[in-house]
Amino acid sequence: MARVITITSGKGGVGKTTSSANLGTALAQQGAKVVVIDADIGLRNLDAVMGLENRIVYDIVDVVEGRAPVRKALIRDKHFPEHLSLLPASQTRDKDSVNQDDMIELTNQLRADYDFVFIDSPAGIESGFRNAIAGADEVIIVTTPEVSAVRDADRIVGLVEAADKGKPRLIINRIKARMVNRGEMLSIEDVLQILAIDLIGVVPDDELIVPATNRGEVVVLDKTSPAGRSFDEIARRIRGEDVPFTPLTEHVGLFERLFGALGWRPRGSER
Amino acid sequence: MSFFDTLFRNNGRERSSDTARKRLLTVLVHDRVKLTPDMMEQMKAELSAVIARYVPNADASGIEVTLLHGEANDHLKADIPLRRTT
Repeated sequence: MARVITITSGKGGVGKTTSSANLGTALAQQGAKVVVIDADIGLRNLDAVMGLENRIVYDIVDVVEGRAPVRKALIRDKHFPEHLSLLPASQTRDKDSVNQDDMIELTNQLRADYDFVFIDSPAGIESGFRNAIAGADEVIIVTTPEVSAVRDADRIVGLVEAADKGKPRLIINRIKARMVNRGEMLSIEDVLQILAIDLIGVVPDDELIVPATNRGEVVVLDKTSPAGRSFDEIARRIRGEDVPFTPLTEHVGLFERLFGALGWRPRGSER
Repeated sequence: MSFFDTLFRNNGRERSSDTARKRLLTVLVHDRVKLTPDMMEQMKAELSAVIARYVPNADASGIEVTLLHGEANDHLKADIPLRRTT
């Protein structure tokens, strides 16, 4: 019997789709049977992040409107075809093509055959977001350590609780340990104190995300990626494993450290 | 690195993460209370009327109502100046 988990954020561009793709892949790699649903109707993206954009035949609106059974619309992942499938959003329709009852019905159809159903929510607090959480058992909120993202996350916490979905859990994405240490970025503690919800993971800012996304790959399959490791740990925590939180560190090379002490920073490095 | 930071980078200015935290807390107090500017004005008017009934030298027109984030609780603070009487 699947657990249905919605990934949402309020603010756009904080990493919902990247989180959905990586968590789905991580759980599939760990042996679970997973479906990821792109609920951002009209702005389809999860297919591209997973590198499956060329395989789409049917989408979520085709399923909801009865043109295709859900099993026919699911696209098998290229890495874990037996464990991970995607139900893509429609690109040509809008969010009103699907309602909350449709989403509950859809997730119920999938529960029996899978361990996890992830729903990648659109940004915002309107009907697209409400549809995305309608069928959920649990909600994970993604934020970044910025005033605007945390403020929007706070709104979402209230709406999720009001919708009787329990207390959401939090992923803090794109944190830069060096900036936090310099007092130039909100810390994990700052964000947790403000939002007062449980942390399920911290994902460091990782330059490997962009080239991976360029290729339609996910960093969770790259053993050298710090963000990938974090997503793998979050997936284990979702399964109920007790994975300790490792303190934030950022690898700093010897030269960088030497020059850094003199106030010099290599070109292109984050400040 | 922090030694150089304190020496050269911040120039006595508050760390931007502290500024961010304070701004967030202030903005969230307002967001969470959901008091529209209209409601705020009406509340001020009603408060002034009540206070004027009991405190004759209250300067009801000078009433200031603010939302504050405190350590344990958030506060709705009303500040009503009193006219000096001799």
